Amino acid sequence: MTDPSNASVWGRLGTLLSEFYNAPYRGAVARARRDEDDLFMLFVFAELLGIPNPATYYTLELQPVLLERFHQWHTRMGLEHSPLDHFRCC
Amino acid sequence: MTISGVVRDLLDRQILFIGGKGGVGKTTIAASLAISAADLGYTCLLVSTDPAHSLGDIFGIEIGDSETTVSENLTALEIDPERTATAHIVTVKDNMKRLVHPRLYSEVDRQLELAAHAPGTMEAALLERVAELVCESGSKYDLLIFDTAPSGHTVRLLSLPEIMSSWTDGLLKHRAQSGRFAAMLKTFGNAGQASDELSHLDSVADHAPDSPEDRIQDLLSARRRKFIITRERLLDAKTTSFLLVLNPDHLSILETEKVITSLLSFDIKIAALVINRALTSSISGSGEFINSRRTQDSEYLDRIKSVFGSFPRVVVPLQPRDVYGFDSLRDIGKKLL
Repeated sequence: MTDPSNASVWGRLGTLLSEFYNAPYRGAVARARRDEDDLFMLFVFAELLGIPNPATYYTLELQPVLLERFHQWHTRMGLEHSPLDHFRCC
Repeated sequence: MTISGVVRDLLDRQILFIGGKGGVGKTTIAASLAISAADLGYTCLLVSTDPAHSLGDIFGIEIGDSETTVSENLTALEIDPERTATAHIVTVKDNMKRLVHPRLYSEVDRQLELAAHAPGTMEAALLERVAELVCESGSKYDLLIFDTAPSGHTVRLLSLPEIMSSWTDGLLKHRAQSGRFAAMLKTFGNAGQASDELSHLDSVADHAPDSPEDRIQDLLSARRRKFIITRERLLDAKTTSFLLVLNPDHLSILETEKVITSLLSFDIKIAALVINRALTSSISGSGEFINSRRTQDSEYLDRIKSVFGSFPRVVVPLQPRDVYGFDSLRDIGKKLL
């Protein structure tokens, strides 16, 4: 439905309409997903925040994978640098 | 019911755990059993999970943290959780360093050094090794015998696969939820008109094969698989059997009762009890001291019979001298089988 080669008036109208209806939901779902991902990150970095985690040894291997998302999170939160003393990403 | 042959039958399992209170003779029983099994033609790996290893001492050879041949058919291993943890942390460090700016390397080092000394790290590293051995059981060796650390430690070790698999299940559930949102985003179409702060999420939703999303999923799934297989094998009575060693004395009987109860709460049943160092009537000698000991031991054996009547039991008499070295271990092995 978003095929750019579809140049007909009806095609463009269809795209506009589906955008009109979908955009608010897309935003909500994207936010819900981001919250879910932030929560997941909290689990992985739990120990660093002083929350006991039974599986620190195993979450350790997830930390490098989450490094980039962690960076995005703290910039999104308006923090220029990582707020965790022992975990710096930039 | 003191049945001869009950321990002999256990050699046909893939995994045997030898547990019990500290100092009752777990290592002696495990080593005797291992050497007897090896003599009968079973290829056998004897593993010590006790942080204070004494397998090497009992055989009179150097063993350490690698599979070492002790005699024909018999290999031994003393797990060193510290070394395992260090290796794991080095891998994480390397992965981390590939992703951060070089000026942060010292930070990465510092943070991960701390992780190496976090409570639970050694336990998790030990579980990791035990899980690996249990997952491979039946392929390289006919029989895997674990000489475990004193009771509480082992009960905890056996309960970990369950705790850890429910933990990974929890994390995977959150990944699945995130994945469902990503799929929904796709059906709404990615017109590139999402607000700036969310745009990176759209790009993640359409992730590449080697994306962090897949990497997280893979790491967690691999963990979960290991825990689940370990737990399944430990709980399968046809694969794994648990032997408890006790002495005819007050404290040892009480602790054995507690261990049996706590193992039952993890659905683990004891296959047999080995009553070690019993001053049986077959031991000659008289005098006030030895007669008093003998009376006491027979009282305790009666008590063991009434408390643990439903478990098969094997009695190993007190030996005139210390048990170590191949010959004396073989003697004990004969009494066990």
